[in-house]
Amino acid sequence: MKRRMIGFQYALMIIVAIIMFFPILWIISSSFKPLIEFSSYPPRLFAKTFTLKNYQEVLTNSKLPIYLRNTLILMLGNTVGTLLSSSLVAYPLARMDFRGKKLIFALILATMMVPSYVTIVPQYILFRYLGWLDSFLPIIVPAFFAYPYNVFLFRQFYRTIPRELDEAAKIDGCNEWQIFWKIIVPISKPIFITIGVLSSIYWWNEFFVPMVFINSEELKPLSVGIYSFSRTTFIVRWDLIMAMATIMIIPPMILFLLAREYITAGIKTTGLK
Amino acid sequence: MGKRKNVIAYLFVSPWIIGFILFTGGPILAVILLSFCKWDLIAPPRWVGLENYIKMFRSESEFWMVLKFTLFYTLLSVIVSVGWALFTALLLNQKVKGVRVFSFFYFVPAVVPMIALTFAFQLIFNKELGVVNYLLTLIRIRNTPNWLMDPNYVTWLVAVLNIYTFYTGQMMLIFDSALKEVPKELYEAAEIDGAGPLTRFFRITLPTISPILLFNLVTATINSLSASFTLIYPLTGGGPGKVTQAISLDIYYNAFKTFRLGYASAEAVILFCISAVVSLLMFILSKKWVYYEV
Repeated sequence: MKRRMIGFQYALMIIVAIIMFFPILWIISSSFKPLIEFSSYPPRLFAKTFTLKNYQEVLTNSKLPIYLRNTLILMLGNTVGTLLSSSLVAYPLARMDFRGKKLIFALILATMMVPSYVTIVPQYILFRYLGWLDSFLPIIVPAFFAYPYNVFLFRQFYRTIPRELDEAAKIDGCNEWQIFWKIIVPISKPIFITIGVLSSIYWWNEFFVPMVFINSEELKPLSVGIYSFSRTTFIVRWDLIMAMATIMIIPPMILFLLAREYITAGIKTTGLK
Repeated sequence: MGKRKNVIAYLFVSPWIIGFILFTGGPILAVILLSFCKWDLIAPPRWVGLENYIKMFRSESEFWMVLKFTLFYTLLSVIVSVGWALFTALLLNQKVKGVRVFSFFYFVPAVVPMIALTFAFQLIFNKELGVVNYLLTLIRIRNTPNWLMDPNYVTWLVAVLNIYTFYTGQMMLIFDSALKEVPKELYEAAEIDGAGPLTRFFRITLPTISPILLFNLVTATINSLSASFTLIYPLTGGGPGKVTQAISLDIYYNAFKTFRLGYASAEAVILFCISAVVSLLMFILSKKWVYYEV
């Protein structure tokens, strides 16, 4: 009886794992198929004639290297910006008493709930006025002004640091900036890593914002580049699309494997006290 | 002294304040004003009062379809993603070996770019060549559906595919840690009393994690309102016809394809109102999960 139960549990867990991983597996295995095999029936998971040509082609003969470079710029710019600004903004919210603190924190939480489609039109107009359209600036600059979600995560972490540390530093004559920079930042390494990783994955994947602000092929990140590539070829080049898609999905998977503990810890705390 | 402290605190917070004025608060005010205007970015904006809203809510307006699909999609994807997240979290809490390996497979779609997955979905759900329909023919189902082109199926499909989004993975982890905090003694006591797994789930697990369930339901609503573009636009482009034209896609088309900025702004205002109601709900319900302590 007990044994059958465990067998059933395993079967269920394996089925769910297959459902969840199947699209990823399909992308990776398809990337080794020649184009002709995409129209063969019945569909096969693995290529009949295994080829590496798709990779060779997208790496040498497409805009993929440019898209990759652009994605890296957006990812790094956003991550650096958000780490600098959000860590700073969260500090007084977690560790100082000042007038209007409650209001500011409430506003930060409230803006977390506003979908980006609500503000996109005025932002577009603002960046057009500044002459920033079709550049990385509309996508990177806002990161330097603290994203609410990351402020929230930093604040949650800072609150767990004992207050006695600040008191001791104050007695030694440190000002708030020195406390932040010399005490809080060095012991907050885990949260910097968590947000750094989460932000990197987020901006590696982001599609909507660059879709709105970037038009030139030379500036498109992978997400938008692969989309426009799929739209511009005369026949859909599934072979090349799948090779590009594989190149696109591998880095976040590796990053997830490396920083798994940080990612799961970071996400879990957002939902709980 | 107290004043000085306030000044220092505001210096720390100033990046967010500037960002709020430029990128969120200011734009929200601007979008409300713009919704009363007509503007194509070439001629100067012209004040037209309620015209955009009247046009939007006329009985023959396409907006009803957009709104209907958005609400349908949101409702269904909330049920699907929260249900799936709870289901997978429950599986990960079983006392079996290899849970860590399974959790990798359950969570990894959440970190993979949705745009890449949409290409896989296009192949997998293809009418003639897709593997899903092939499997259906194996169990002798004829007239296999044209998933992405049939209005009856595609609206359901896009909502169900929410199980692959970041947000579902995130909810799974939150459920997972909530489940780990359910007191073990309760289960043991119930088992002695002869309660089966279903009774234990409905009598012990569900009541204990209900605050988290509530939290996930509300965040799932906000998430599907704010992430629908990334899933639907590359997958169906709002089609066939306009049956999967969520409000996010419609704002995008109207603002950046046909340059009807006033009309797009009016739609954004409606979306803002919907998410404000959801957030308000979250705020009221938040007293149940102690989330807003300052």
